[in-house]
Amino acid sequence: MSSYLITVATLIAIYAIVVCGLNVIVGFAGQISLGHAAFFGIGAYASAILTTKAALSFWTALPLVILVSAFIGLLLGLPSLRVRDDFLAITTIGINFIVEAVFLYIPFFGGALGIGGIPRVFLFGTRMRGTGFFVLCMVFLALVILVSWWFTRCWGGLACFALREDEEAAASMGISPMRFKLLAFVLGTAMAGLGGALYAHYMRFISATDFSFPLSISFLGMIVLGGMGTLWGPVLGAVLLGVLPELFRPLVDYRILFYTLILLLMIRFQPGGLLGEGSVARRVFSLRLLGGKS
Amino acid sequence: MNRPLLETMDLSKHFGGLKALHKVSISIYPGEILGLLGPNGAGKTVCFNLISGTYRPTGGTIRFEGARTDGLSPQRIAAGGIGRTFQIVKPFGSLSVLENVLVARGISRYGSFLRMWRGWKAPSEREKAMRVLERVGLTDLANRKARLLPLGNLRRLEIARALIVGKKLLLLDESFSGLRHEEIDNLESLIRNIRESGVTILLIEHNMRVAMGLCDRIVILDHGQIIAEGDPASIQENEKVIEAYLGRKGTEHAS
Repeated sequence: MSSYLITVATLIAIYAIVVCGLNVIVGFAGQISLGHAAFFGIGAYASAILTTKAALSFWTALPLVILVSAFIGLLLGLPSLRVRDDFLAITTIGINFIVEAVFLYIPFFGGALGIGGIPRVFLFGTRMRGTGFFVLCMVFLALVILVSWWFTRCWGGLACFALREDEEAAASMGISPMRFKLLAFVLGTAMAGLGGALYAHYMRFISATDFSFPLSISFLGMIVLGGMGTLWGPVLGAVLLGVLPELFRPLVDYRILFYTLILLLMIRFQPGGLLGEGSVARRVFSLRLLGGKS
Repeated sequence: MNRPLLETMDLSKHFGGLKALHKVSISIYPGEILGLLGPNGAGKTVCFNLISGTYRPTGGTIRFEGARTDGLSPQRIAAGGIGRTFQIVKPFGSLSVLENVLVARGISRYGSFLRMWRGWKAPSEREKAMRVLERVGLTDLANRKARLLPLGNLRRLEIARALIVGKKLLLLDESFSGLRHEEIDNLESLIRNIRESGVTILLIEHNMRVAMGLCDRIVILDHGQIIAEGDPASIQENEKVIEAYLGRKGTEHAS
């Protein structure tokens, strides 16, 4: 494979990891988040700082990075998840801008210059680059999908589904809304942190603007396109919205217009996303493989 | 008489100047069906929301099996064995009927960080949930999405969920409203059947005929206060009740 293709594929795999995390929050638990790029950034900065300033290896830093992302997710989720719907959307936008500002204006995070010289990842003494790093990202993506899959099958996940559908009814069945919203939020931000760490060591230079609000919108767009709350929807969404801009490079000036068009068409014709409930893809798929019954 | 299962003492809920519920004391004894009746806006659902923890009382106390429950969260109260349905049904729409029931079955897991990671798709869980659906007569619709169900079935589904949670006390909020005649008859026998299994029931009802036939005792609320209490026969004779429902005798009423 050409290095160009590998680059695109690696970034898509990283985005898919982050978007799977967002799917846990938005798709499974029904809590809108428009600030997911902030947690992607927190993971990236945490890993960058731990490996440059504290001189840890990628592998030693990784568990810490995931813990830090989850912990900050917990701290920020605690006040934010007290509000619902539109208010939560606005609060999470706020989180995105504040986190970006912290990276940009506090010298410890490198300010406007960002952080450079982030070391490459070594595995068994080999430097991971190109295809190697791509495979590594795919392994992590598989892991994240596995965790998501398990989440849909465990009682904690079922509690989140119930919360998404009706909070009051869920509470009357012993489900603490705050506890399970936080559970989903922390799981989602931990996945974003993992994606951030991979991103930092792939790019080897990061700056605050890599994690700004428009990226959060793209993440949400990927979920809407692929199918909110489905297992594979986020991956499909990440692939499509990752590939399309590459295919239509000449149309780069119209990218936002194009995104908008896609989203409007989705809302009109496939509101559940490409893999969502009642979608064309799902109907065809279930007809072929399950003999007509889903 | 034996000790009440649930007892409210001077229970009040004020919304600003509006006294939605004012100094209401109700006792529910084990094994009985107690009806909570009254005109619209009398404070019946407010009373339910206080007992189930959705609202915090402005004043007064609630005791369940002798222990104070006022001020506890809805999930804590549910875990104590009080199940409820909602006047406006609240199904988990995109989940199947069976999954709706399974959510309720998870009640013993949601409090523990260890147990919540276990799987809910085990066949044994499914079997137990199916048994509950059988009791309310929804087995045929087990795999249907809850949002596609008509109202009568949704009310049954809510009872199925509440039944699992409410091992001791069941709060039914107008479970009969919007149902057809034969559905009402079915539900009546279901509720009797539930009571026979040892569950105490507090129900809000608008339909006088149904309430009179079903309840052992009836409490009538009006403007947030108890105006009458007793067995169905005595309630029917009660002047105040007739007045609250039909207006004062011998005076002109525009309403």
